[in-house]
Amino acid sequence: MTDTAIPTRTAPRINLRDAGTFFGLVLIFAVFAVLNPVFLTAPNLINILQQSSINACIALGMTFVIISGGIDLSVGPTAAVSAIVGATLMIAGVPITLAVAGAIATGMACGLFNGALVAIAGLQPFIVTLGALSLYRALALIFTGGNPIFGIPPEFRSAINGLVLGVPVPVIIVAIIAAILWVVLNRSPLGEYILAVGGNPEAARIAGVPVARTKIIVYVLSGGLAAVAALILTGRLGAADPTMGNLWELDAIAAAAIGGASLMGGKGSVVGTLMGAVILGGLRNGLTLMNVQAFYQLLATGIIILVAMLIDRATRGRA
Amino acid sequence: MISIKSFLMASAVTAFAGAAFAQDLAPLNSDTEADRMDWSALSEQLGDLPKPAEGTQVGGVSKTLTNEYWRSLGQGYQNVADAQGVTLAYQAAPSEGDQLGQLQIAESMILQGNKGLLVSPQTDNNLQPAMENASAQGIMVVNVNDAVIPSAEHYVGNVQRDNGVRVAQWFIDNAPDGGKVAVIEGQPGVFAAGQRTDGFTATITEAGNFEVAASVPANWSRETAYDAASTILQQHPDLIGFYANNDGMALGVVEAVKAAGLQDQVAVFGTDGISDAYASIRAGDLTGTVDSFPVLTGEVAMEVVLRLIGGQDLPRVVATPQALITADNVEEFSVEDTAALREMLLAE
Repeated sequence: MTDTAIPTRTAPRINLRDAGTFFGLVLIFAVFAVLNPVFLTAPNLINILQQSSINACIALGMTFVIISGGIDLSVGPTAAVSAIVGATLMIAGVPITLAVAGAIATGMACGLFNGALVAIAGLQPFIVTLGALSLYRALALIFTGGNPIFGIPPEFRSAINGLVLGVPVPVIIVAIIAAILWVVLNRSPLGEYILAVGGNPEAARIAGVPVARTKIIVYVLSGGLAAVAALILTGRLGAADPTMGNLWELDAIAAAAIGGASLMGGKGSVVGTLMGAVILGGLRNGLTLMNVQAFYQLLATGIIILVAMLIDRATRGRA
Repeated sequence: MISIKSFLMASAVTAFAGAAFAQDLAPLNSDTEADRMDWSALSEQLGDLPKPAEGTQVGGVSKTLTNEYWRSLGQGYQNVADAQGVTLAYQAAPSEGDQLGQLQIAESMILQGNKGLLVSPQTDNNLQPAMENASAQGIMVVNVNDAVIPSAEHYVGNVQRDNGVRVAQWFIDNAPDGGKVAVIEGQPGVFAAGQRTDGFTATITEAGNFEVAASVPANWSRETAYDAASTILQQHPDLIGFYANNDGMALGVVEAVKAAGLQDQVAVFGTDGISDAYASIRAGDLTGTVDSFPVLTGEVAMEVVLRLIGGQDLPRVVATPQALITADNVEEFSVEDTAALREMLLAE
């Protein structure tokens, strides 16, 4: 295990890498605040949080998979399948809570399938989830014939689109999930296992960490969170679309990487990933407010990711 | 702090308004909606365009700027915006599949103080929340071609089914002996793709002596269309024609037909009227396309939203023009000036 993992567990001091991400976030927001009067208003900040919440939800699951040394490319199609199961159940008259549970169970089942192929069959995560990406998308398209499912019950839509103390419900859902995941990663044996499996799988095995079980758990978590994101989006759109989640995996990986997750495994931060998602959401929002064309928005996103990685390397050294 | 408080109350109110939805409107089918008007009747029935107030802003949310069609549509918005002294912000998602990215753009535009929004959604539902939110704030939202939001109050666009009907009619007129034809479809589940295919297939089947030998989706992709057409030609070497749901795919089909050496036997038609299609028709490769005049469509859409902002009452659907372009009339329709194009279409 790395020497950085131990102090964060024993003493809750501020992580240097997270401080760096926070500085980047403040800097980007400050620039937009100067350039555009609308950017730093309360409605727009709430807008940014709302817009970032879906990516943040996916990215949190992705962070755990990345820390364990894997990757999950199938999050978008997993979300689509889960949304379709949830919507189909709701329209069939199943109580909403049961339909929500069914959708999340579907996402977790997708994750279990990925995790089993990675941990038990020993296949490479990139290839397993690349295959799953096509597989789950196909299931969603075949089941629906390519058509979105409309007629989501208004009660479910109102619940997702509501506000609690002025904060949109999706933001609150993701904040609660993030708080739980922070405790899991930093204060529980499971968190230690995940960091250990990603940091050095061989040493982890010798130290008695249940490697296969740990790996399966992170993919199940990622699938479950994809389903939560899918339910949020279904509630917002009032429809479950089989093409939902196209390219979500890339935004999620970007948010995790900006937040300090290392694709080599063993490193990553819940708070960092949240800030990474807000940086990406804020960047897009700010550039749109300034009427910058989409192609330049892509350019800016690319530069931010690369700069974040260079700073990462500079501050951590060649370890 | 008062401003934040009042904002929270306002947003709570809009959340409720949003939750009420526009359930009283029947789901929109832009092809069959009875409450409609042709673009040519706008000035005649509603009079002149009311002069927009000083500083009026309108936002355009497009599908993608990597497809010429959507750039041309934006040009049309800009033409009318310039003529009327209106400020236009025209934005699109980086790619055609980016549904959430497009939603984020639309949501940001609501906050920018736009009086009207012209939206061309990626799917039938991805801009739903932005549309509800905008309507709740009194912003006029017009759905412009080609995905149709079922609860849209205003739609400007062409009759999608008619694209296919016009091509089928060409075959019926020009191939009296009939024969085998094939359809290269757009993205499955997209309204425009379904309607175009259905219009073509139903019309040509009704003629009796034609057979639709294959009808396969190529997801608006030139490459996929090329592969699909090659396969179909191998299976049906006696095919006499292809209808592709857009021009990009049609140009892929043209290449496949040329590779098979069947260009004298197989007629290829597209839809949209992009400049590559015009060039290909002039070169004698593509047989024809159904042009839906994106610049003119954009002008009509901007006019419609400005009329709505000006307080005029418009039907739910305003239909925009389209015409079948072949080697016979390609030069005639190659006019840059939309005023001349308007005259030509009105004269028809």
